[in-house]
Order: sequence, then C-alpha cells, then structure tokens
Amino acid sequence: MPRSGKTGGVQARKATPETGRYLYAVCRGVDTESLRTVRGIEDQPLEVVEHLDLVALVSTVPLSSFGEEALRSNLEDLAWLETAVRSHDAVVHAASALAPTAPMRLATICFDDHAVRARLREWYISLTHVLDRVEGCSEWSVKVLSPPAASSSPTVDARPSSGAEYLRRKKAAAAERADTTESAVASAGLIYEQLSGRARASRQLPHQDPRLSGHEGTMVLNAAFLVSDAEARSFADLIGLLADEHLGLLVDGRGPWPPYSFAMLG
Amino acid sequence: MTDTTTDVPTTRPYYSGPPSQPGRSQPATLADILERVLDKGIIIAGDIRVNLLDIELLTIKLRLLVVSVDKAEEMGIDWWRHDPMLTVRERGLDEENRVLRERLAELEGGSDAAAEDGSGSQARGRQSGASSRKSG
Repeated sequence: MPRSGKTGGVQARKATPETGRYLYAVCRGVDTESLRTVRGIEDQPLEVVEHLDLVALVSTVPLSSFGEEALRSNLEDLAWLETAVRSHDAVVHAASALAPTAPMRLATICFDDHAVRARLREWYISLTHVLDRVEGCSEWSVKVLSPPAASSSPTVDARPSSGAEYLRRKKAAAAERADTTESAVASAGLIYEQLSGRARASRQLPHQDPRLSGHEGTMVLNAAFLVSDAEARSFADLIGLLADEHLGLLVDGRGPWPPYSFAMLG
Repeated sequence: MTDTTTDVPTTRPYYSGPPSQPGRSQPATLADILERVLDKGIIIAGDIRVNLLDIELLTIKLRLLVVSVDKAEEMGIDWWRHDPMLTVRERGLDEENRVLRERLAELEGGSDAAAEDGSGSQARGRQSGASSRKSG
C-alpha cells in the first residue's frame, strides 16, 4: 500500500490544481497491506495519509468532475451519484471489515495530502472519540413495512352504483388504510424499543422513498442500530423473533454494515 | 401486538428477517447506501466546498414527487398518501402539493421563490456555496 507522502500532493499545490485527494474514511490500526487490492473512485488505487495512529484512506480524483462547479451538477445526476456512492461505500466497507473506521460524508476532497493531514491533526481528538465509539461494533439496519392494502374487499369489484357510493367507498378504504398504518406504527415503536435495548446506540432515519428502495407498502420504521460484533448473533436472532411476533408486517433486518449512522463528530 | 392467536397461518409472506449467518453482510440497497453516504458520516470541510444539503434524500424524494405527481397518479401510484412522513390527511392533494413545492423551494435556497418557481427541474444554478458545515 503506497504511503503517499509526496506524489499525490505536490502537483496539487500549484495555482490551479487539476486533481484532488478524495477522503473516504479515517481508520485506526488498519493493516494497509490488506487494502492493497481495493480500488477507489474511477478505479484509482487507494492510498493512505497518516497522522499519529490515524490513517486516512484517499485516492486521486480529477477536479474536472469533482471540483465545486462540476460536483454541483454531477450530484444532481442520479446515475453519476450512484456510481460515486457505491465506490465510496466499497472502500468504507473494505476498511471497516479490518479496523475501526469512521466513514466520511460523500465528497470530502482536499487539494493535497498536506491538507488531508492537517484535517487529521485538527480533528484528531474528535476522530479518536468516534473511533472509540464504533470500535468492535457494526451498524444494523432494521426496517418495518406495512404491506400494501389488500384489495380483497368483496365490494371492490362491483361498480359503484352512484357517485355518492363511489365517494363513500373511497372514504371507507382511506379510513381502513389509516387504521392499518396506525397499528403498524405502534408495532414498529415496540420493535424499535426492544432492539434499542440490545444495541449500543440507535437512531431512527427518515422513511425511504419507494422509488429508490423499491419497497412495497408503507415503511413505518427505518432504524439504525450500533451493535457490538460480539452480540451480532443474538441481535440477528432478536430481529427474527420480532418478525415472528409481527407476522402482518415485513421486518427487514440487514447488516453488519460500516457504522455510518453513528460516525459524527462531537 | 397485532397477532395474539397461536394458530396463525404458517406462511410468512412479509417476513424477510435477518441474515441467517451473522458475519455475512447483507447488501444494502441503493436507497440504504445513498441515505448513509449522503446523509451520515463525518463532516469535515475539505478544500472543495460542496453543500450536500442540496441533494439530501428529502430533496431527491420531493423532487421525484413534485415532478411526477400527476404521472404517478395516472399510473395509480399513490404511496405518498399513506406515507406517514407525508400524509396530510385533512388537506387535498393540491394543498399537499403546494406545501411540498414550498418546502422544495426552501430547500433549494430560495425561500422567497415560494410556489411559482418550485418546479423541481430548476434545481441548478442556485447558490449553494455556503457549505461551511464544519461540525464540531
């Protein structure tokens, strides 16, 4: 694994740099040899910038697509965005399997390695706290979905006899949906509580857009849990138990993932 | 709390529980990855200033929603009506749409642009330089 002391940086310090150093994550005690095969954005080799015991994972990106102006429009392009976030995630994933890892938010870019190192120095204490918090833990995602309203009511097939009848049916269907959703929300609350009891930390995220996630039905819980790796098995078992308890709901548990949702400074 | 009986059907159409082998990572969906890489993680200002607020998922969600609400309705898609995040029961769709347009306009930086200009496709060219969300 190349330690980029000079190469990536020097040319970038001149007046108009053409490349930047993209920062994926900060790790501690990572065996950089094991990351040798991992590629970064645009298939660039992954490199490291070190400060004391912190290791920043970086690669070179062209500012023609990662400069301020270019980013502003590229980030609006869902296909471009998908490629970028997947590359970012792949690096973070590889690192977090090896060592405590604090993922950076997308598009953290410095002009050169000196600037990266300066960030490590400036944020050393906070980064160390984050790494302490996530060490030996992974993120688990648990989503709860209420299935799409079943259109099994016998009256549905028959044509409404009048406009008033049509409206009445529509209203009844809406009320039924609201009922289902409310009870699903209540169940989701219980599920969240029980899982939180087994996690180091937990948080609820906004419900996802079905067009992005492809899910059917109504998402009533989108939660993230920070779980000690030693307890991963029992946490996964608990998800299974809760799914059995709530047969009318879809309980979708995934993990272990890098601790994105629990890596924040301060 | 939904099922208290023991003789429930054995089929579990809505169950897709945890990975059977902990240690084997279950893949994240694109929505999961976007949600995390855009919206979570450490925020340290780099040399390149970028305001990810511009593209937070809510914005993407609203943009998808506002741009294609009529089309979606034509196709019989109406999930937003029972999305607890979006449900505004007492109001009609027009009102809901107006609220969303306003929120979109706000998110896009022009809180004074309000309803007129919120067509969602005019996302570019807004000012977004103020990104010094250097947390600490």
